[in-house]
Amino acid sequence: MIDSVLFIALPYLAIFICIFGSIYRIRKMPMTYSALSSQFLESKSLVWGSVPWHIGIITIVLAHLFALICPGLWQMLMAYKNVLLITEALGLAMGICCLVGLIVLGIRRISSQRIQAVTSRMDLLVLFLLTAQVIFGIGTAVLHRWGAAWATGTAVPYIWSLFTLQPDLSYISDLPHMVKAHIVSAWLLILLVPFSRLIHMFAVPLHYLTRPPQNVLWNNPRHYEAEAAAEEILDTDARREFIKGGVGIAAGTLLLGAGAMDKIFAFFFGPRLTAKEETELMEEKLCRLQATTDQRKLELERQSSKYILVSAMSELSPTEGKYLIDYQMTPAMAFKGEDGLPIVLSAKCTHLGCTVGNTVNKEGKILCPCHVSYFDIKTGEPNADAPAKAPLPILGWALIDKAGKLIASRSSKGEISGDTSSESIKDCDLFIVKTDEVKV
Amino acid sequence: MDIRAQVSMVFHLDKCIGCHTCSVSCKNVWTDRPGAEYMWWNNVETKPGTGFPTLWEDQNHFKGGWKISGKDGKKHLELRSQGKFDALLKLFYNPNQPGLDDYYEPWTYKYNDLFDAAESDDQPTAIPISQITGEPMEIEAGPNWDDDLSGSTLYAENDINLEELTQEEREQLFEIERVSMMYLPRMCNHCANPSCVAACPSGALYKRGEDGIVLVNQEICKGWRACVSACPYKKVYYNWKTGKAEKCILCYPKLESGQIPNCFQSCVGRIRYLGVLLYDADRVASAMTVPNEALVESQRSVFCDPYDPKIVEAARRNGVSDEFIEAAQKSPVYKYVMKWKLALPLHIEYRTMPMLFYVPPLLPVMGKMDNGHYGNVVDGFFTSLEQSRLPIKYLSRLFSAGNTPLIEAVMKKLMAVRYYKRSLDMGDMDIVTVNKLMREADLTPAEAEEIYALTALPTVDERFVLPPIQREEAIAGSCNPELCKGSCGLGISVTPERGP
Repeated sequence: MIDSVLFIALPYLAIFICIFGSIYRIRKMPMTYSALSSQFLESKSLVWGSVPWHIGIITIVLAHLFALICPGLWQMLMAYKNVLLITEALGLAMGICCLVGLIVLGIRRISSQRIQAVTSRMDLLVLFLLTAQVIFGIGTAVLHRWGAAWATGTAVPYIWSLFTLQPDLSYISDLPHMVKAHIVSAWLLILLVPFSRLIHMFAVPLHYLTRPPQNVLWNNPRHYEAEAAAEEILDTDARREFIKGGVGIAAGTLLLGAGAMDKIFAFFFGPRLTAKEETELMEEKLCRLQATTDQRKLELERQSSKYILVSAMSELSPTEGKYLIDYQMTPAMAFKGEDGLPIVLSAKCTHLGCTVGNTVNKEGKILCPCHVSYFDIKTGEPNADAPAKAPLPILGWALIDKAGKLIASRSSKGEISGDTSSESIKDCDLFIVKTDEVKV
Repeated sequence: MDIRAQVSMVFHLDKCIGCHTCSVSCKNVWTDRPGAEYMWWNNVETKPGTGFPTLWEDQNHFKGGWKISGKDGKKHLELRSQGKFDALLKLFYNPNQPGLDDYYEPWTYKYNDLFDAAESDDQPTAIPISQITGEPMEIEAGPNWDDDLSGSTLYAENDINLEELTQEEREQLFEIERVSMMYLPRMCNHCANPSCVAACPSGALYKRGEDGIVLVNQEICKGWRACVSACPYKKVYYNWKTGKAEKCILCYPKLESGQIPNCFQSCVGRIRYLGVLLYDADRVASAMTVPNEALVESQRSVFCDPYDPKIVEAARRNGVSDEFIEAAQKSPVYKYVMKWKLALPLHIEYRTMPMLFYVPPLLPVMGKMDNGHYGNVVDGFFTSLEQSRLPIKYLSRLFSAGNTPLIEAVMKKLMAVRYYKRSLDMGDMDIVTVNKLMREADLTPAEAEEIYALTALPTVDERFVLPPIQREEAIAGSCNPELCKGSCGLGISVTPERGP
């Protein structure tokens, strides 16, 4: 319940208020829309606060936005180990820049009498929230490393699910508290934008780069009229606007017409396909459709079948797991246990969902490479100080011989039934089962 | 050819008595608001002196105005304070922005203590408190803290215009009993090539096409403070309360209804002249890329003869009204600047093409003590140029970007007028000497009479020649100054308030 309030209701409220509140403030209250610089009153410590803070936060916000808007591209970049390392290091450095800047700004705001004369309660609240937000961010970067990589599978799809109006908490419900706090305080800050000095972030004067240096405004209509008369274009504004509109429409029509003519021209006089080429083209299309249908059928079949084949019993190894895809379409893997019976367990790390490695070490454990969690293959339990807290789920299985007879089975709770002597299961095939009801 | 009209002013410094009435009348109308207490859109400085804000002329420190860049033939102007890209970095912290301590911390007194103090053996006092923090404070500086302090080692001797003077000249200037000074009323120059406008990241500053007044649109201004650094005259101020920039508006609500600006109206010495100049806006930027010494002449070459039919035609084509063209023909400013070439711009080496002009002071008439009597002997009745109390070099740093012959020519002309009138009124001058002086100053008797009449005897209608800017075009003509304090934008009058 609390999660739905914090991660569904709050974000919608925050985004709504941010957008409409900001528009209202900018358009209706432009006199209050300012960067509210206090450099005039105090500049000695401002340079050590404002500069690192702004440079740090702008870099970080842009990186967050980039990952959010192009998660595919971002993920592709993060697949390179060096890029990931550099991104993480740079992010951490910029985060520390932000924190240093905020601390300087905070001390300045509290200690300087002149600055206090222009400090509102909202300023203090914003300063506090920003500091908390930066600390949560740095905390996430330090305690839950490689956020640049795992966020594209958690936070990014969560935010996209909000944007697409299908909020899905499952992406973030398992996230550590630090990350959750980071997300919540981000929504709070977005909520405060129209009510605080944060509004100045929309005033970035990028148009300064392109505008001409001088700015002359004429208030009387005479100048423009005189200009128009001198150029002998038209005598009234209305007619000029009409002609402008007419020219625009004519140009548009011309372009559209040209496009249409091109198609018509191509239809009558363009290159023709021979009958053979046409047939080949259609065949190709048919093949593609067929392939898609087959694949969909297979998937459906897999979902509905009672058993899914893993491999022959003889192919299982006690030291190297065999990967498979389970009913939920998530990765799992199978080993041969010490007792000769198969072990099948999920390979999706219970921490942040990475795929766990399939090599068993001397202690009989497998490693999740993302944040170094070791899981015991017999129980699925992680080691005590691992970031993952929950065990990997154990899956049920069934052994079926070549004749199609069910020889032995094991439910996900661990009850083994049937004949488990090594002689009888030697030639069986290993399947995973849909429900625990499969018993010999 | 892009002929525009500029409302311009001439200050006749010989008549300035340094009474600050202009500053006070401006302050009372426009800047007695919270956040603007420290602003003096108009102030009067004692020269030599450090001015307000302290050492504002030191552009190595404040980086105001334009500098020339590019090679010969392809010279162009660049802002000294910022380029296009570092302007964005300077939003966070502007290293050249003057701070409160460069101006002064505004204060008031705890007057209520005089009435409310508990009974005691001592007289109650009203202690000074800061208008920013409200706390008791030590007063260390004020807006005219170097007033009349020529010769002071703390103020006058640090005037950076004294740089080129030799040690001997400095000693002479500050010699006790000979120490001299002049007053310099300063306000926004409403430049033709304003660096504040070019520096504004938001594009809030603009120059009005009709009259050339430079304004800040309070609704667009975001408080990036680039204009404060970029203005070499430090005449754009940052309102610490509203977080927006403010500057002299040349009392445009008054001009639009045909009234006289406050500073002009209250001037005790009647030193101010206000009129229209026509200039060719297309040539402004290129005119400002010449070497320092040529700048004054270069600026004059941009001004146009209001009687030239071609100019009148071009001005009309640009929408300048017939009333304005007529005012330009009768303009006292045109006479001082172009016809007699007596009025010079202040610090034109900043290359913003300032549009306010100063007639340099001819220095006080020097009397001589003869046996305890203050006598007016004919010999040396007037100081000669060589003996001028304020060195010509010093004046040339102020008014002609270091071009001393230009100042000398002005001085000679001013002096020739005085000799001529004295010879007529008193008859105690050698007529040959007077004629020689007139020839040297390139002055005809008719011209001398004209200069005398406009300098000494003008009525207000001769000093202020400006038609009311047509009411139907007026933006804030009906605005009551009491209501639109600080709201000087495009026809809005909203009470300025600080955002949350």
